[in-house]
Amino acid sequence: MGTKRTGARAVSRRQVLGGLAAGAAITGFPHIAGAQAKAIRVGMPTILSGRVAILGTSGRAAVQLAFRQINEAGGIGGRTLELVDRDSKGRPDEAAKVTRDLINNDGCEIIIDGEASSGAFAVHEVIRDLPVLCLHTCSETSSLSADPKLHVKTAFRCARQGIHDAVAGGTYAARIAKEKGLKRWMTCSPDYAYGRDNTAEFLEFAKIFEPSVEVVDQVWPKLFAPDYTESITKILQVKPQAIYSALWGGDLVAFIEQSNLYRLFANIGFFSGGLGDPPVLTAIKQLPPGLNTAYRYNRNYPAKPANAAFADGFAGIAKHEPTNWAWQCYTACLFIAEALKRTNGSTEGARLAAELKGMKLAAPFAVDDAITMRDTDHTIIGYPVAWGRTVPKAPYVEDFSGVDWAKIVELETQWKKGKGYA
Amino acid sequence: MRPGPLRSGLLPSGLLRDLALALAALAVFLAVPVVFPQPALRDFLIYFFAYGLLAMSLNLLVGLTGLVSFGHAAYFASGAYVFGLLMQSGRVSIPVATLAAVGGTAILALVIGAICVRLKEIYFSFITLAFQMFIHSIIVTWVGLTGGDQGLRGGIPRPPILGLDLNDARTLYGTCVVVFVVCIVAMRQVSQSPFGYTLRMIRDNPARANFLGVNVVLMKLGIFVFAGAMASIGGVLLALFVSGAYPEFAFWTTSGEAIFMIMLGGMKLFLGPLVGTLLLQTLNHFVTIYTEYHGLVLGSVILLIVLGLRRGLADYLYDWLQDRRARRAPSAPVPEPVVKSRPV
Repeated sequence: MGTKRTGARAVSRRQVLGGLAAGAAITGFPHIAGAQAKAIRVGMPTILSGRVAILGTSGRAAVQLAFRQINEAGGIGGRTLELVDRDSKGRPDEAAKVTRDLINNDGCEIIIDGEASSGAFAVHEVIRDLPVLCLHTCSETSSLSADPKLHVKTAFRCARQGIHDAVAGGTYAARIAKEKGLKRWMTCSPDYAYGRDNTAEFLEFAKIFEPSVEVVDQVWPKLFAPDYTESITKILQVKPQAIYSALWGGDLVAFIEQSNLYRLFANIGFFSGGLGDPPVLTAIKQLPPGLNTAYRYNRNYPAKPANAAFADGFAGIAKHEPTNWAWQCYTACLFIAEALKRTNGSTEGARLAAELKGMKLAAPFAVDDAITMRDTDHTIIGYPVAWGRTVPKAPYVEDFSGVDWAKIVELETQWKKGKGYA
Repeated sequence: MRPGPLRSGLLPSGLLRDLALALAALAVFLAVPVVFPQPALRDFLIYFFAYGLLAMSLNLLVGLTGLVSFGHAAYFASGAYVFGLLMQSGRVSIPVATLAAVGGTAILALVIGAICVRLKEIYFSFITLAFQMFIHSIIVTWVGLTGGDQGLRGGIPRPPILGLDLNDARTLYGTCVVVFVVCIVAMRQVSQSPFGYTLRMIRDNPARANFLGVNVVLMKLGIFVFAGAMASIGGVLLALFVSGAYPEFAFWTTSGEAIFMIMLGGMKLFLGPLVGTLLLQTLNHFVTIYTEYHGLVLGSVILLIVLGLRRGLADYLYDWLQDRRARRAPSAPVPEPVVKSRPV
């Protein structure tokens, strides 16, 4: 016993406590210790793990590319931009926590929100409390920026949104339906709020532009379902002329792969809101030609050298083609850099927000000359909302057909009035 | 540490000790923002309080009564949603909304518990999980009320209570500390009451308890409702903190996390689940900073603890201290029996 006691005292309680405190200090504040005084820290809560990790990893790669280019060009008045990313695991409460942490602990002065749906709303509320500049880059839920009750002065959306896509999709679908006489429609969308809302909005506008469109049946496979046989056989029984699907990501890949076994697309027109993402297109082993898809990203559309350069730069970092979230995050960085230049490097949320309102940016992805951050509801317009058709090899989607933004804005205004947003 | 007949005035000595410890904990927690003014630490602790209440309340079922519930997060979510919806209505104050959330959740737990507590072992576990997924489905599909999978949007207003402005981060933290400590004391008193000891008896030998005239179903139902109500307060704290309520609160993974917390901390000590909560949240916090492969790291740590210690961390430390104490007193003729249900 005596020997043991002597041994125990070799490391005193104070030494242990001191060691623990030092350990906590080292592990607890690594980013503060490593921070460069000159850097402007930009926080990015996003999803880096789980089924939709590509949302976060591709967005992060785009931000890394943009910051590298901005910093190599001299930064913002000599200050560099530094990304601090954090995984929220797709949990809204975790998204709120890490966002607060990025601002309060890691000294981030700007937030690029890379959260999907509910996570974006959670981040939105944090920004209401801690009013730094925030750009939402992934949420496509229109109410985030359209609903005036949710308005936050320093929060902006730099992402496509449901209502714009619905108008564009409805316009395109109506045109094809008229040309090919597609009257009997079915839908096959995931059974959750986004799937149902997105499908309803698409059909609403398709019917406005082509009243002969008739929905003969709807199937609602579960989100993340591995097997779509039941839905496919139902479609084969009903024999519609066209199908609309709000499936996305791995679900859409699985659906198309399984549909190929039944030759589903031989005589049925297929319209998808989520097929246009290059990683989805390349994941499908036998991509059927002639499927109609909304633009998510394509290096050839808009056909601009800057767009192709972005695709090459992104692929150099991420080792795959850009995603929809990548171009949105990249554009957000360009907006941030421009706002910082206009404020001479001031990161005060209100000043940056004032500069962002109504800002026109000659981004590589602008359909015409610029993407505009609309001042009334803090959301972008003028981005690509085209639809195209698939081809089995790269660039996988071609014949993009755009929609006049004036028409989209007009119908969006009516939609807002209908919802009580305007 | 042993239960005894000593009394100081009108209060039992155990209660006095618990109150003294609670006041000390209250003072320490309230002093944290003064000593460490970093807002991140306050945020971390609020998160710890919310999930700590979830884990502690679950342990009233798992550790105290032997009822392994897989659906406890349903009551956590119920508290958050009822509170959030009432506050968004703008018609009630925070205390009234909190009481309504706790009361509403207690009624929900009463209805569900009345069915569940009649079942035993794995059947009990699975029916609680089934009810949780049922509630999760309601939250996701009743979009008009709950916001569906987007959660409650638009923030949760925090009107002042008796001059306290909860929009101030320090005031919010202080309020959370007080609520948390009061709830822990309440759970401790239930655990140490005759009711608590009856639950231990039911856990150890329900047939004998029944033979002695204990209404086993009623006792189980009582603790099921109380645990649900306590979990709902955790949900209220989290809803206040994140200014929203989300369907993930009611998902089975949240219940799974609470069970992890109990496993990591241990069931033997009353505060064991809090140790597990602190451990899991700390690991989660720091590992997430450095890698997106946090699942791998957390899984490895849990494996190490489960296979290496074969019990919760707090239980291991407690047993180690007890052994050490026993070794240091070799002269004692007969070692005193250790009453392991008493330690805090």
